Amino acid sequence: MTLLESRSRTSRSSHGGTAEDSRPGDLCLVVMETPNAPHSEAQAAVSDPPADLSHRLSVLLESIGRGDQAAFAEFYQLTSRRVFGMARRVLIDPELSEDTTQEVFLQVWQNASKFDPKAGSPLSWLMTISHRRAVDRVRSSQSSTDREAKYGASTQDIDHDSVADQVGSRLEAEAVVRCLETLTETQQESVRLAYYGGLTYREVAERLNAAVPTIKSRIRDGLIRLKTCLGVS
Amino acid sequence: MTETNSGRNGRSGSFGDTVAVDLASGRAVDLAELYALDALTDEERQAIEQYMSAAPAAERTEFFDRVRQARETLARTFRIEEQPPADLFDRIVAQLPVQGSGPDAGTPAPPASGHIAGGQFAPRQPASGQPAGAQPAGGDELAQARQRREERRRPGGTRRWLAGVAAAAAIALGGVGVGSYVADQNDPMNQVVRAGDLREASVDVAGGGTATLLISSSEDAAVVKMNGVPAPPAGKVYQMWLIPKDGSAPVSQGLMDEEALSKPAVVEGISSAAALGITVEPAGGSQSPTLPTVAAAPLGA
Repeated sequence: MTLLESRSRTSRSSHGGTAEDSRPGDLCLVVMETPNAPHSEAQAAVSDPPADLSHRLSVLLESIGRGDQAAFAEFYQLTSRRVFGMARRVLIDPELSEDTTQEVFLQVWQNASKFDPKAGSPLSWLMTISHRRAVDRVRSSQSSTDREAKYGASTQDIDHDSVADQVGSRLEAEAVVRCLETLTETQQESVRLAYYGGLTYREVAERLNAAVPTIKSRIRDGLIRLKTCLGVS
Repeated sequence: MTETNSGRNGRSGSFGDTVAVDLASGRAVDLAELYALDALTDEERQAIEQYMSAAPAAERTEFFDRVRQARETLARTFRIEEQPPADLFDRIVAQLPVQGSGPDAGTPAPPASGHIAGGQFAPRQPASGQPAGAQPAGGDELAQARQRREERRRPGGTRRWLAGVAAAAAIALGGVGVGSYVADQNDPMNQVVRAGDLREASVDVAGGGTATLLISSSEDAAVVKMNGVPAPPAGKVYQMWLIPKDGSAPVSQGLMDEEALSKPAVVEGISSAAALGITVEPAGGSQSPTLPTVAAAPLGA
């Protein structure tokens, strides 16, 4: 059984609304529980979810571009936890996060036909839209001081990052952790502040009391190091 | 890697203080990561885009290649997830502009068809023909009755669609909860799941499975359903707690043994609680939770 088959099967069963519905993040579990799944396949599924999920999401986006609501529903089911999770982390406020998530998916509906698989993975496309929306919203609704304070607070209660807990993505999560560790602490801090805090490089510099060019370098070097470690090409 | 500002490819010297300086000094490509991270002001972003639109093709390609890679990297690195409220998808669908074909584009289509089926309201159904939301074992009249009520309440079948798609309302009732509630229309569980302000949250349970909460502020209660959660270890039980907003001690909401795990449970009095926690405790339960929790769900609206 290929991962794709298992995924679509899971997806179908959830349409039936059984109490044992799998969640999108659990999908890889299905593979891991498949006795005959070749190890290499399971490995690929968990350490490199982009390949298969990407394919599915690309297909769905193509259908959404033609106005297919069922595809839209499945796309939402597979990705809404990511979009909402990021919005909550950046915006903290639940209502703002819901509004932002709503805007993101409306944008998906309207712009799906513009998605170009050659220009990047669907998840990257989606998270780019999501982050941009969340950042726009947080910058217009809160002062940077508030954001910093809230960011500080939000990092205290790490973490409902369920991904890290799910068996299916554990290897991928481990790779990320391992790669994050190749960054200096200051690089990590700067990238995180910009990503989850919604701060500009200048605000990061002010917050960390560092020179502006230094922060620019940390962010650039940190992301390049991460990219290299994760093998993003 | 050091924190000197030397370019990685032996490119020109340091970053400047402003994006304008960087663009002027030939470091445009080195701004790709900041651009991908949205760590720029709108004005800076526009300045970069304007620069790139006029830049030599090679430079432009290199820049957007690095932007793309940085975005992939970010999408793989920051993977936080949180279950949105159960009704959010419904709200989104309600706002969808009509797109593509037909006046019924706003009408939920059956999922398997892969296209908009004008005027067709068929809900997502398993092959057996049971309504979405019913247990596959079938015969759950209560769940079916509930679904009929929901369909009456919600025009256009959107609710049905949601039920099938997001599985939000897919918790079939009829089981007897921790508190031995009789499953009739007046029981607390039914009142919760029929509440107009129902929200869904789902959290992973350490050790496997998830706990799904259907939360209603108006009913001041939540229904908790464990999905695929393994039985507690021998001699242990799961214990549910409400963690009060005011920082006072967690309040036990009851125990769940292996048998109770399969049944939804009602937790009342959630308005004063910040979160619901589940712990593993010795048989008979504990006065205070033994940490760490195996699951914790925020209840705040």
